[in-house]
Amino acid sequence: MANSQPNTRIQRHKLADRIYHWLMAVAVLILLGSSLLPILGWKFPWLDLHWITGLVLTILVLFHIVRALGWQNFWAMMIDGQDVRDIVNSATGAPVSKPGKYTPAQKLYHLAVSVLILGGIGSGLLMLRKIDTPFWNRDPYWFDDLGWGVIYAIHGFVAMALVTMVMIHIYFALRPDEWRLTRSMFRGWITSKEYQDHHDPKRWQAKDEA
Amino acid sequence: MHLFRFSRSIYGGSDVIIGANYDLLVWFVAAGAVVIIVHALYKAFTKTNNHASP
Repeated sequence: MANSQPNTRIQRHKLADRIYHWLMAVAVLILLGSSLLPILGWKFPWLDLHWITGLVLTILVLFHIVRALGWQNFWAMMIDGQDVRDIVNSATGAPVSKPGKYTPAQKLYHLAVSVLILGGIGSGLLMLRKIDTPFWNRDPYWFDDLGWGVIYAIHGFVAMALVTMVMIHIYFALRPDEWRLTRSMFRGWITSKEYQDHHDPKRWQAKDEA
Repeated sequence: MHLFRFSRSIYGGSDVIIGANYDLLVWFVAAGAVVIIVHALYKAFTKTNNHASP
């Protein structure tokens, strides 16, 4: 597949994964907006929108974890020895090898966002015990004051750190030299030439892993 | 600037953490802006394509 015509399309993201990505993006933006805009002074009834969107994000992330473990190449997103060598080489100005499906920077970004999202979900699920919903009544005595304070602090720092990460993500998505990756998240494919120019076929056997 | 927001315990004890200090949000926005600006400037002034042959 990699040696075919330059404009041959090579699948990078399957439809299910693209739908997941965009639903997660919408959920994260709603969560950030519904939590931080009231703090910045835009008052509106944000709580129901926030916790319901949080539950939707939780389901989406569970779906992604299951797909990553069962249907995707889980190790394609894990930092390996070659990535570490390339990070060191990049820092010292030495030549770096072509990446597999994801660059070391993308893997580090994914790791950081994973930690933040899971931290936000974990703390958010615990915070649900402090509000009444159609499904349960609040029970604010699960933790003492310090325990709740730590949980709220984690949730708050996750939210603010995600603002940083979203800014960086949008910046790279809009860069012309990264447009092939953004296009692949809309349409699913990169060209054979892009595959050959930017990826090591031995580290990403696209026909097997798309 | 404090990292956390505090509240006085109703039992008269020491201050209790009630959450993150959202005044720090501007610093998180600034951090994102710095990364973007530094990377954009780096890319603008260099042509980096130092991939070794696999």
